[in-house]
Amino acid sequence: MIYYKEWIKTRWFLLLLFLSSNGFAGYAVLRIFRVVELKGAAHLWEVGIIKDSVFIESTMQFVPLIAGILLAIVQFAPEMYHKCLKLTLHLPCSHSKMIFSMLKFGLLAVISCFFVNLLILFFGLQQVFAHELYWHIILTALPWFLAGIAAYLLTSWVVLEPSWLYRILFIAISMMLIRIYFISPYPEAYNGFLPYLTVFTFLLGSLSWISVSHFKKGKQF
Amino acid sequence: MKQFSKIFFYFICLFLLIWIAPWCYAFFSAKNDTPLLTLYSSVHKGFLNITRGDTNGSYWCDDNNVVFSREEADSLLPFFYIRQLITDNRFPDSICGRAFTPHEVNNTNFTFYSNPNLINANTVKLYPLLESQSKRVDLVMPSDVFRTTDDGIEFIDMESNSIEAEKSAKFTKVMLDKGFSFPAKQLSGNPSTRKEYDEGYLVLDSENKLFHLKQVVGRPYVRSIDIPLDIEISNVFITEFRSRRILGLLCDSQHKVYVLNSDYSISLVDIPSFDPIKESMTIYGNILDWTIIIKKDNAYEYYAINADDYSLIAEKTRPIDNNSVFGLHFTSNTDKYVYPRF
Amino acid sequence: MDEEKIIECRNLTHYYGKRLIYENLSFSVPKGRILGLLGKNGAGKTTTINILSGYLQPKAGQCFMFGHDTLSMPHEMRRRIGLLIEGHVQYQFMTIKEIEKFYASFYPGQWKRDAYYELMNMLKVAPGQKISRMSCGQRSQVALGLILAQDPELLILDDFSLGLDPGYRRLFVEYLRDYAKSENKTVFLTSHIIQDMERLIDDCIIMDYGGILTQQPVDQLLNTFHRYTCRVPDGYSCPSSINGMYRPNVLRQTFEVHSFLKPDEVENELRSAGVPVNNLICENLNLEDAFIGLTGKY
Repeated sequence: MIYYKEWIKTRWFLLLLFLSSNGFAGYAVLRIFRVVELKGAAHLWEVGIIKDSVFIESTMQFVPLIAGILLAIVQFAPEMYHKCLKLTLHLPCSHSKMIFSMLKFGLLAVISCFFVNLLILFFGLQQVFAHELYWHIILTALPWFLAGIAAYLLTSWVVLEPSWLYRILFIAISMMLIRIYFISPYPEAYNGFLPYLTVFTFLLGSLSWISVSHFKKGKQF
Repeated sequence: MKQFSKIFFYFICLFLLIWIAPWCYAFFSAKNDTPLLTLYSSVHKGFLNITRGDTNGSYWCDDNNVVFSREEADSLLPFFYIRQLITDNRFPDSICGRAFTPHEVNNTNFTFYSNPNLINANTVKLYPLLESQSKRVDLVMPSDVFRTTDDGIEFIDMESNSIEAEKSAKFTKVMLDKGFSFPAKQLSGNPSTRKEYDEGYLVLDSENKLFHLKQVVGRPYVRSIDIPLDIEISNVFITEFRSRRILGLLCDSQHKVYVLNSDYSISLVDIPSFDPIKESMTIYGNILDWTIIIKKDNAYEYYAINADDYSLIAEKTRPIDNNSVFGLHFTSNTDKYVYPRF
Repeated sequence: MDEEKIIECRNLTHYYGKRLIYENLSFSVPKGRILGLLGKNGAGKTTTINILSGYLQPKAGQCFMFGHDTLSMPHEMRRRIGLLIEGHVQYQFMTIKEIEKFYASFYPGQWKRDAYYELMNMLKVAPGQKISRMSCGQRSQVALGLILAQDPELLILDDFSLGLDPGYRRLFVEYLRDYAKSENKTVFLTSHIIQDMERLIDDCIIMDYGGILTQQPVDQLLNTFHRYTCRVPDGYSCPSSINGMYRPNVLRQTFEVHSFLKPDEVENELRSAGVPVNNLICENLNLEDAFIGLTGKY
């Protein structure tokens, strides 16, 4: 039932998120179609093969990141407004279950949104490229989506933190952690690291518990 | 839960510390240690180095720190500075007792560069195969690319994103006839129209046999290259230098370097070792000698090689001032992968 | 037999940084009583509520509710406790209908939907109205309605009077008193507005910065705590503290002091402190005057 609250809180934003992120994915694909129309597919293939370009970088690279940050703010800032989280934590339900259910809701929301983004990219690129090329692009894009998930979990951690001093520290740590997902400009650079990075990303969800513990202890400074 | 999140938090802090702190140190203590050019001079019979002066300029000097003026350097490195010499009307009648025309010199000059991060990277395994005897003066890019599968070679028409069955079958048959076992393990080609001629690809098949593949008047040209049994080729590089004297460079599992001549014979290059997976190599070649510069972990190695028989003329090393601090890194100069490493 | 203690706090001490909020605060709330923790802004009322509801770890001391330490209370116990947080805060993004549906799911078997809607009908707002678009008074009714529907044994209300205009305040007080008394509920509340409190609370704790001034039933307080006044010569300045007296001061030739002592005892104490007592007048006080008498005007 905690999902009901999260749903009411975020439904309009989720609709916006869904439309805009898929809008970006659709735009990235349409741009490719447009180049095919103007210059031919061969030109695009050559650029992809020889210049190692993944085409969708400029449109899509930071979309999941921004989506993750915004969802966490939309979901958790109202909880911190006048310490509304007290109400949530007062419900007769275990605190950890409550907090992780909220995170689970957000994760499900971003992951399903990202999944549709990837489907659009996948089916769009499939029209133009051989599998070597479209997988090259999708595999290059996966760390960006993982960054979106990390951004969601890290922003939740920061927003839930009651003390400003810790919040600033957490923001600094989060920024450094997010840097890991964008450290290499080369396509498919993360292939081998991706499974470990995925596990690491989901473990970031546990950090929110630190903020909630601070909240429960009444930390203010 | 609380315990875990705390431990995980401290783990992250430690992890960031051993990543960021050495990076900060390196960032603020960085000094420019990239060496300027070193070339072998057959005229001077020794290496010449560009050296940074105390003020901003730089100058050529030899290993005994004898400094040369610009004009002297032009004459000591006549192949390298040929354009300057021709412009100044100073191109000599003979160099080291041999007469060369500027055309000959231009034709035999080349540079070759191999970097491990070009090899250690995830690239798209699709290859354009140019027509090497097109009837036009300029090379043109083909309308298809190929891949190799377990069963053969497939040409894919880029415009329609569909397989050209007939062409694929034709090439597959010829390759199988020549003893090629699919799929290809390694291909080296230079799919570009900005070159004088096209030699297609040097290909290592799944059994590590070496082949030369190109397209001649729309038909497959496949040549199996005989390599002595005791040599296990690990890396191939097609060269397509202007002189056409050589077809490519080969490295074997013992880190020896060979020249693949255009008659498909191979000659050993007299340098101790080069591992293309870990080390970068630059070759400045001319009609008399090659200067080979290999960057190893802790030193730059310089070799001068006779351009006729690839025998060693001179060598020297220059240690790399290794002031890197211990720490965590995600990227490296020798590959294009991201993962944490020390 | 000792009456059942629903809340018990023992030797609570808390600091914010180096600022002492209070030291060794102990009190208990027996079943069926309404206890008001009264104090000025910043005296530590919300701090106490936060400690009670488990959102603040005191520097020392312990709190028990239904016999459980609040720091390690099983979450099922929260079913028996209704909490109203400062400013009648509720989820802003929900409507009257949604918030009822949401809370109802957490209290199966005890949720009294009608109690909530009875109060909401009095508000004359549409069920689709968002809480963020309500006035503070209307929000207070939503928060109260939710607590009444939850039907907990113990109600903890943090400064419920904050931001309420007199009408809503009166409405809230009457509704709450009626409910608590008829259902034998225990209530612990804080307030910095003392008006109307007389109608509501059985017992009071009056806090000042750093600790408790008095803790007793309201009737007893009003029966024993009086204001004493007399005329003094022009220019007279009284001693700043007198044994057994609260807040002695002089304003326009009138000396004023508050005390729990009887009139003759007061007169004796004042004389021995050198106050020129003359025609000492003893007045009964209402709760607000008593509160000011104890805590002072500043």
